[in-house]
This record gives sequence, structure tokens and C-alpha cells, in this order.
Amino acid sequence: MAEESNRVRRRSFLKATTAGGLAGMTALAGCSGGDQSGDGTEGDSAGGDSTETSGGDTTESEGSSSGSSLPTYTYVNNSQSYNPPRHDAINLIARQFNDIGMDVEVDTLEWGTLFNRVSVEYDYSFSTWHTFFTIDPVLELSSTMHSSNTGQGDGNFSGYENPDVDELLDGYMSEPDEQARVDMVHETQKILMEDVPQMPITHMPAAAIYNKNQTGNWQGELSLGFNSYWTMVNLEMKNGEDTLKGYWPETLSTMNVLGHNDENKHTYQFTVMYDTLLRLDNEGQLNPDVSLATDWNRVDETTMEYTIRTDHSWHDGEDLTAEDVAFTYNYIAENEVPLFSVQANYIEGAEVVDDSTVRINMSQALGPFNTMVATQVPIIPQHKWESRSNPSQANIQEPVGSGPLMFDYWNKGSEFGLKKFEDHFAPVSFEQRFWRIIPEASTVWELLKNGELNYEPFGRIDRSLNENQDHEAIGTVFQPATSFWHFTPNQRQDGLDDPVLRKAAVNSIPRTPIVEQILFGFPQKGFNIVSPAFGPLHTEDVTRYEESKEKARSRLEEAGYSWNDNDVLQAPSGN
Amino acid sequence: MGKASFVIRRSLQLVATFWAVGTVLFFLFRLMPGNPTSFVISPQMTPEARQRIIESYGLDEPMHVQYVKFLENVLTLDFGQSFHSNAPVQEVIMTYLPNTLVLMLTAFVIAYFFGITLGVLSGWYRGSRFERSTVITALLARSVPSFWVGLMVLWVFGATFNVIPMAGMTSPGVEHTSFIGMITSIDFVTHLAAPALVLAYYFMGYPLLIMRSSMLEVLSEDFIDVCRAKGLSERTIMFKHAARNALLPIVTAAAIALGYAVGGSVLIETVFAWPGIGREMVRAVLRRDFPVAQGTFMVLAATIILLNFVADLAYGYLDPRVTYD
Repeated sequence: MAEESNRVRRRSFLKATTAGGLAGMTALAGCSGGDQSGDGTEGDSAGGDSTETSGGDTTESEGSSSGSSLPTYTYVNNSQSYNPPRHDAINLIARQFNDIGMDVEVDTLEWGTLFNRVSVEYDYSFSTWHTFFTIDPVLELSSTMHSSNTGQGDGNFSGYENPDVDELLDGYMSEPDEQARVDMVHETQKILMEDVPQMPITHMPAAAIYNKNQTGNWQGELSLGFNSYWTMVNLEMKNGEDTLKGYWPETLSTMNVLGHNDENKHTYQFTVMYDTLLRLDNEGQLNPDVSLATDWNRVDETTMEYTIRTDHSWHDGEDLTAEDVAFTYNYIAENEVPLFSVQANYIEGAEVVDDSTVRINMSQALGPFNTMVATQVPIIPQHKWESRSNPSQANIQEPVGSGPLMFDYWNKGSEFGLKKFEDHFAPVSFEQRFWRIIPEASTVWELLKNGELNYEPFGRIDRSLNENQDHEAIGTVFQPATSFWHFTPNQRQDGLDDPVLRKAAVNSIPRTPIVEQILFGFPQKGFNIVSPAFGPLHTEDVTRYEESKEKARSRLEEAGYSWNDNDVLQAPSGN
Repeated sequence: MGKASFVIRRSLQLVATFWAVGTVLFFLFRLMPGNPTSFVISPQMTPEARQRIIESYGLDEPMHVQYVKFLENVLTLDFGQSFHSNAPVQEVIMTYLPNTLVLMLTAFVIAYFFGITLGVLSGWYRGSRFERSTVITALLARSVPSFWVGLMVLWVFGATFNVIPMAGMTSPGVEHTSFIGMITSIDFVTHLAAPALVLAYYFMGYPLLIMRSSMLEVLSEDFIDVCRAKGLSERTIMFKHAARNALLPIVTAAAIALGYAVGGSVLIETVFAWPGIGREMVRAVLRRDFPVAQGTFMVLAATIILLNFVADLAYGYLDPRVTYD
């Protein structure tokens, strides 16, 4: 029932998300606890107004307006053309913040400017974008939440500092016992969701969007969703189709597996062109059947040994040996390859024990070495790389790997083709895969429907998906992903260092209309910085925040905040 | 002043203009908000690794040092390496520029052939229904957004009737051994037709309107009456005497349009998934890929500057009354 009352009629909602939509916004029942009498119809703005006004009046009469004024806050927003749904969502959230008395202005910026303002200059009050967590949430949290990373551009752009969290994050990284790590990451989540340095607005899904007449059996994996190695080696082709046909909206930049900037478009290619020591399956478990290493063993806290296949080869026909594996790890560490700098920090060196065994010595204990390093570092051929002195800036045209797909052609700006590597231990069922570069989304949908494309690797969650998902040729599979739209207050700004104000802001975020109307119901409402997709690493036992402006106001009031005659929020006296 | 001294003077001006454009570009990109390393660097990198990348691109050096290096590189036509692909900028330009030139020049030739012809005819038949319809067509061509026309063409002829390819320069998986081999293939021409015609439609309005008004001016001159008095045919007067004299403004317009053609058409390249330099320029700017952005804009600026120079010289050839004072 509450869900139902939270729904906003589309027309009034759209009106609200535009600059002139102030009246419509007050009808947003989703942000007033779902208990307002109005039913959210377009003509209901008066009802919404009266609800808000009476709430404001009550608060005004009770609150002392003797506190100091809070500053004007800036919510940085991407342009409408860059990401329309997120642009609308940010405008909507900012207006809700204004409704609880905060003075918030929205500053719309070109993406590069926005990203720099937030992540390097820390010149913002609130920010939101799509955060991609990698295979282990603590890897990301160690960058964004650790107090040692608050220097400019170091990763902790929220400015959050908590020694307890630092200790848990550091402990997690060095703890070899898996259950102990799970307990630590659960505790970390509890603290973070109590302190709210960052809050997911929505948990975005991983989406497989495909032509179901040509492909089937789409199985996702934790970090790369339906573009993972696991997905590709389990994919089934239908009706005689032997080519997997995808697209990407912009051209690939490089074929250098050590020199890209970790963008998905590159990661999705390299993950099937190169093997890693270990691979995850769709249950999030290390699976030796599809891995280069068939067995592994932690010799001591800082030593791992891997048994590798001895019958595998590179795409150019050379044998893949234990020397190649040891070379890869030593090469990345010695050359301090920036892309793998996190992993390189933990690698002391690697040595060949025998033809099938490689020993990796760590420079410091890393508990989740397998997931953070062994599943991440691509094994590269020594005979190709040993002569390259600056690996991250090498201009490579025809890469040689050992994965289930091998390089075929690259028409820069137009198309990129891979073909099946017949000798792989986990072969794919299709003969080739290509990506065409097609920036126009409507063209992509037409090609998907007529079979000229048969999968959509970009995974756009938007209106087009909503409109086309029921087409007879289109199949979809959704699963929870690790990524989310984050809401991050900058704690370096006056007032935002107070958890009470941050919590009130979180109470005011209209997650229901954002999920239901801006994103057509595809994501889940955000509630935990560690997504449910992480399975055992995720816990439901975290503080939940009611979606209610009244709750936000009462929370502030209890903490000594007040409102002046203009309903503008005042900090508690003495602050 | 003779022609030789004019050429020398203009050549010196070209060098100064080119230097000014390069300098403005250099500082403009660096004054833009946003840090290029934000796009190059993975969020997971350690601070030390980030710093190494910044140093490797020379972005840690003082601005004046970077500027001097930039000028040195421009003099040797070395625009550096792309921050993103690590490829030399010349390689990036040579990958995308030919694709753009084929598309733009095809559209340009079609547009100017039909634009000039229709401009001559509409000037000649002033006041007729033909003139009104061509003027309306020309104004429509200039007013309707080309990307919208492109989308409509794709929707009608691609998605609905399936008679044109919907994306790219070639069919999926088709490889060509050379660029010439590609552009002379039926497959390529099939892919070229729709974007070239949409662009040609957009371009056509400009020469048409200029030619028409220029024709109207020429047709009011005395020598047209003399031609008629000599008993020349209407067709001869129209094309051989009136149109030739009305061509002069078209030369300037064509030179500038040709120059801009080098920059491509971002919207058309996007709608038709054409791998041209226009998209690459925009991408480079948005990602703060300074070397590629500078290189592509320099090529664009150089082309416009040079073609204007050529147009100035062509004036004297086309109309002997033009002097170089």
C-alpha cells in the first residue's frame, strides 16, 4: 500500500523534474512517507502543498531559529544529453533537499568537468554517478572510504574518516581466513550505513539483452555481468547462427591489455582474449574447470602456489608455460604497470617450481589474493612482452593471448572481430564475435530485432529497453549487479560532516519515483553500499532509511536543527 | 602589387595565422576545466601510479615548457601520442580523416552540382513556380536538422523497407586489403549512399541560394542584353555568360565549405555510425585527449586557411578584373 501511494503519476512527475515543476514536486508522495492524503494526481499539487506547508508550519513554531545558517550546497549534475535519467534524478533529489529546508542549487556540468570537480578538486557538496564495484567490495572501499586516501585525487572524495573502518579494511585485506573476512566486511557495512558517507540510490541490475532466436543460456558473473568469460563459454547459439554480434557506442582505444584505462569496452574484450590464473563461475566460486590453474594452495600467509595446465598454448601456437605465468607476475611488479598497481603492490615476485607449478610471493599478506589478484592479472606471453620496456604505453595492433577468443581484425572506429580459439580448454560455442561501433541507440534496437546484431553488451537501462523488451525477437535476463548510483555528500563542506544532516538527506532521496518512473522499475532501491550481488559478503543487517521528508525533518529537529521564518534549515546552536 | 608579392605576403600571414590558431588551441584546451588524467587513469590505481602517468605525458611540467615543446612538435608535424590509445596522432588522423573526406567530398560534389544548377535555373526563371519551389526546398534543407533527416531516412529506408544499410561503412565482417579497394566496392557505395545524400541535401541549400541571388544580380547587367541582341540562345546566355559571371561568390563559399568538410559532420557520423574524424575530434575534446584534439583541430584550421588562400588566388584567374592590390 505504501508502495502504491508512493507512485507518482507520470505527467506530474515529468513536470516536477523540469525547472518549472515546483508545484508538481510537492505531490511527490514518495518523499513524504507515503502518508499524505493526496493521491499524487496532476491536479493534486494543492494537496501536496498543504501537506508540506502544515509540516513546515509545525516545525517553524516549535523550532528555535537561533542556529547559524548552513551554506548553499551544490549538487553537481551531468548534462541531460550525457545521461538523461540521472540528470532528472539529481534535479528531483535536489528539489527534495530544498523541501526540507536545505539550500541546494544544481550545477550542471560537462562530464569531464564534473568528474574532476568531484574526484580531484573536491569542489562540490553532493555528487551522483554510476559506481562500478569490482570483484571484491573492499578493494573499492579501501580506495573511497579509507582515511589515508583523502589527498587530492587519491580516491576518498567524500572526505570520510573513521579509524574503525580503516582498521576493518586493512584487516580484511590481510586476513587469510574467509569467514573472518566476511565478518569484517559485514561490520564495515554496518558502520558505513550508519555513518552514511555514501548511499546507493539504486542498485543497478546487470542485463543480458539479446536476440533470442539466435542466442540463449545467458549466465552472468559477479563483476562483469553478462560480458564475462563465464557467460561467453556457456553461451548457446540457436538456429545455425555461429557469430555473436554485438556493438558498442564508441570506438575501442587500444589493444594493449596492460595499457587500457579499465573501461568496460576494453575489459570485456581482454577478459576473453587472455586467461587469468583463476576464474569465477556464476555462483561466485573459483572454478578450476575454466581456469588456467587447476589447483592452488596457500603455502603460508604470503605465499601462493598454483598448478597450471601443461597442455595449453598461445594464440600464435607457442606453448603456454609456467615460465610465462611467472614472467607475467614479475613483469607487472617490476614495471609497476599502473593498471595493475593495486595488485603489483602485493607481488614480491614469482618463480617456477616445476613445469606445472608457479609460486607467487607476496610483499605483504593479502587474504583474498585469489579474487583480487589471481582472477585479475591477465597472463601474457613472455616471447611477445619481454622486449617491451614501457608496457603501459605500447601501441599494440595484433594482441596475442591464450583465452577462448583470439584477435581476428580491428577496423578502427568501425568494427572489432574475434574468432574462436579451437584449442582452448573452455571453448566457446560460436565461431566468431564482432562488435560494431554504433553510437545511435535506436539503430541498435532495430538491428537487434532483425538479427543483424544478436546481443547488446552495453546493457542500457532506459526507455528503449522498456519499450522493446517484449518484442518477439528480444530476450532479457536480469540479475543483481555490484554497481549502483551513489549519493555522496562532501564531508569537507560545512554541515555535511554531521551524520544527522547526511541521514536526513538520505531520508529525502525519492528512491521510489527514481526507480519506478525514471528507470522504469529495472533497478532496486539502494540501501547498502555492498550490493546484494556480492552474496555472502553482503549483509541485510544494516540501518535502513525510511523514504520520508517528515522523517528527515523530525530527525533534524531532534538533533537541534531549526528552521527560520523562510523555512530555511539552521544548524544547531553552538555549531 | 604583383601576384608574386601578394603570394609572399599572404604566405607570411598564413604562418602567423597558423601560429595564432595553434597557440589559442594549446591554451584553450589547458584552460578547460577537467583533468585529462581523470579519463586515462583507472580509479583503482594507486596515487603513485597516477603520478607516473601524469609525468609520462609531460603534464607535470610548467605550462610554458609544455608550450615550447608543443611548438617544436608542430614544426616537425609531430602532434605526439594519444593519451588514450597511445597511438601517434598522425595515425589517428590518417585512420579517420580519409573516411570523412570520402563522405564529405561525395556530398559536397553532389550538393554543389545540383545546388549551382538549381540556383542558375531559379535565378533565370525568377517569379516562376519553379523558383518558389526551389527556394523553399533550399530553405528547408538549411533549416531542418540534418540528424533528424538522417534518422528519418534510416527509419523509412532502413528499418521499414530494408533497402539501405543502417550503420557503418561496410557490412559486418567484410575486410578490404586497401582503402582504395574498400571505397570502390559495391558494399561501400551502398553504405555511402544514404549519409552522402542526406549531407548533400543539407549542403545544397547554400550554393543554391547564393547562386540564385548572384544570378539575379548578373542578369540585370547590360551585357546580358547585348548577348540577346547578338541572337545567342537562352541556354548559352544562361550558362555560358550569366552563370560563369555569377560563380565568383560560390568560389569563396565552396572553399570555406571544403575546409569545414575536413572536420566532418559529427551528427551524421553519429547517426549513420560512420567512423569519421568529426566524432573522434569531439571524443578527444570530451576526454581531454590533448594531443588528438590539438592535432585534429590544427589539421582543420590549416585546411580552412589554405583553401581561403587558394580561393583568393582563384579570384584573379576567374575574374581578370580582380587585382592583388
